[in-house]
Amino acid sequence: MSRTTSKKRLLGWLADAALILYFVFALFPIAWMVILSLKPANQLFSTYFSFSPTLDGYRTVLGDSEGIPFVRFFVNSLVVSLGAVALSLLVGLPAAYASARWRFKGSENLMFTLLSFRFAPELTVIIPLFVLYQKLGLFDTYVGMVWVLQLVTLPLIVWIMRSYFADLTPELEQAALLDGYTRKQAFFKVAIPLVKPGIAAVSLLAFIFAWNNFVFPLILTSNEAQTVTVGALSFLGGDRPKYNLTAAAALVSVVPPLLLALTIQRYLVRGLSFGAVKS
Amino acid sequence: MSTAVALRGIRKTYGKTTALDGLDLEVREGEFFCLLGPSGAGKTTTLKTVAGLELPDSGTVELGGKDMRGVEPYDRGVAMCFESYALYPHKSAYDNLASPLRSPRHRLPAAQARERIGEIAELLGISALLDRPVGRLSNGQRQRVALGRVLVRPARAFLLDEPLSHLDAKLRQQMRAELKAIGAVQHTTTLYVTHDSVEALALGDRIGVIRDGRIVQTGTREEIWYRPCDTEVARAFGRPRINLLPGVVTQDGGFRSADGKVELSVGAQAAPGTDVLIGLRPRDITLRGPGHELTGTVYVTEVLGRSVEVTVRLGEQQVSLVAPRPDTTGLRPDDPVRLSVRPENLLLFEADRPERPGRRIEKSA
Repeated sequence: MSRTTSKKRLLGWLADAALILYFVFALFPIAWMVILSLKPANQLFSTYFSFSPTLDGYRTVLGDSEGIPFVRFFVNSLVVSLGAVALSLLVGLPAAYASARWRFKGSENLMFTLLSFRFAPELTVIIPLFVLYQKLGLFDTYVGMVWVLQLVTLPLIVWIMRSYFADLTPELEQAALLDGYTRKQAFFKVAIPLVKPGIAAVSLLAFIFAWNNFVFPLILTSNEAQTVTVGALSFLGGDRPKYNLTAAAALVSVVPPLLLALTIQRYLVRGLSFGAVKS
Repeated sequence: MSTAVALRGIRKTYGKTTALDGLDLEVREGEFFCLLGPSGAGKTTTLKTVAGLELPDSGTVELGGKDMRGVEPYDRGVAMCFESYALYPHKSAYDNLASPLRSPRHRLPAAQARERIGEIAELLGISALLDRPVGRLSNGQRQRVALGRVLVRPARAFLLDEPLSHLDAKLRQQMRAELKAIGAVQHTTTLYVTHDSVEALALGDRIGVIRDGRIVQTGTREEIWYRPCDTEVARAFGRPRINLLPGVVTQDGGFRSADGKVELSVGAQAAPGTDVLIGLRPRDITLRGPGHELTGTVYVTEVLGRSVEVTVRLGEQQVSLVAPRPDTTGLRPDDPVRLSVRPENLLLFEADRPERPGRRIEKSA
């Protein structure tokens, strides 16, 4: 008996060790970024872990010095990501509901087409889009960015919300109709409140995808509507790459998705498991 | 009496399955109409067609004499109790009951609504549960809330889909007795769907028997019981089930069982030699009484409280009967026994065929 317990304990230690190893592997890049962001410029290339830490990097990034308007990029990112998610919800929730409730000729094809926007690598469509945007005056505008990000957020929201709506029995809305509510009221008063956890989960996911998108702002913006993902890289230009500033900018740009995830965590856990179990 | 709900020639298919196959049904104003049928017969589809939740492929739905084509469910003024309850899971029992009274079409001032909900909750014995979210109610409690949501509001017709099926036996019996006494039910046309023949007999002013998407017979409980249109309907009502013995019509219009052991004069309105089934309800057979006499041997007896179910061998057939307990004392398996049955209680049917159950044959006597 003592042999089996000691064997079990050994296995437990090994598992712990493996986990710790994995954590180190996964978290080291982030730790390295933090270290990098705290280094003064003159110790960037000459030190590993011992250096004189300073917040100068953050001050520079947030103070818009170096001629790079990082705060504006940050605001741009917020505006276009939130805008893209909001527009996708506005259009996508009714679309998801309709496609879950009514099957009509070609409805599956329509849904598949929508999903196929996610198959094509963004780079394959970026050149024609660039030309279009130049001609339409959408280049480097909020409207243009919100619009193009629909390619990222809309299919996600429609497809995930569709399965949430499909899991709701239509009899709930039918009951609402017989209680004297219109179809619109049944949608807003019965269906929507019941898929709230799903909306929270999918909004967060869509926000993260929109926030992290790199290729679209890289090609379709230059200055006015540029976002943090591209903006953080501008610190690498010039005669000497300023890695500490890039690291600080990257860490600052992690904050919004992180905050959002923490605030809706409560919904998120329920939301991700909600679709699996019929209540 | 005028017709409150009329369905004419309703057909409804889902892909290749036919749910309703030319269904005709009329429910009179103020009537309590029970629709009885096995699962999959089209009962729920019928209700949803009346409510406008399912649109028929062909045929017309009339409410109060008006064609309901193109009329949305919320404008039909009917209330429905779903078999799945369809309670709003994010709301309390009270809010579920209040839902119709807050809708634009049946709105009541909050104070009046509260009073009305209080009355209904009292009636259904759910007053103590009103604050609970429906997720924390038992199935029986949910079913009563669902029924309450129907009764709480005025309606042109109540559509009730197995509203008592999930109650425990005692409560079901009690609710069955009380349901028809509820004021709202008394003066509202009610279309009640069930698969339980006891419920249908107890509640229905008239009963419609549905099978494979058609109404096969409509009538009062007496009509359904004493003049079932075919063997299926006869089998559907009464426990233990009706005894059906195969045989042929004799020259003089009598019945002779297939093994030749049972002969009864019934005055069959059918050609001699026709294959028939004779139906004897277990409670119509007595051990000592007037009428035709049959002799057999006891096969098995089973005490059902105050009465006893006796299974008797008649030649190669078995018939069951229910007799008061004193009549059966001393009966042992293989004892010879004499049964009697009144001629008017005999039912005669054509033999069942694979494509349809045998129809009842009229008797002259």
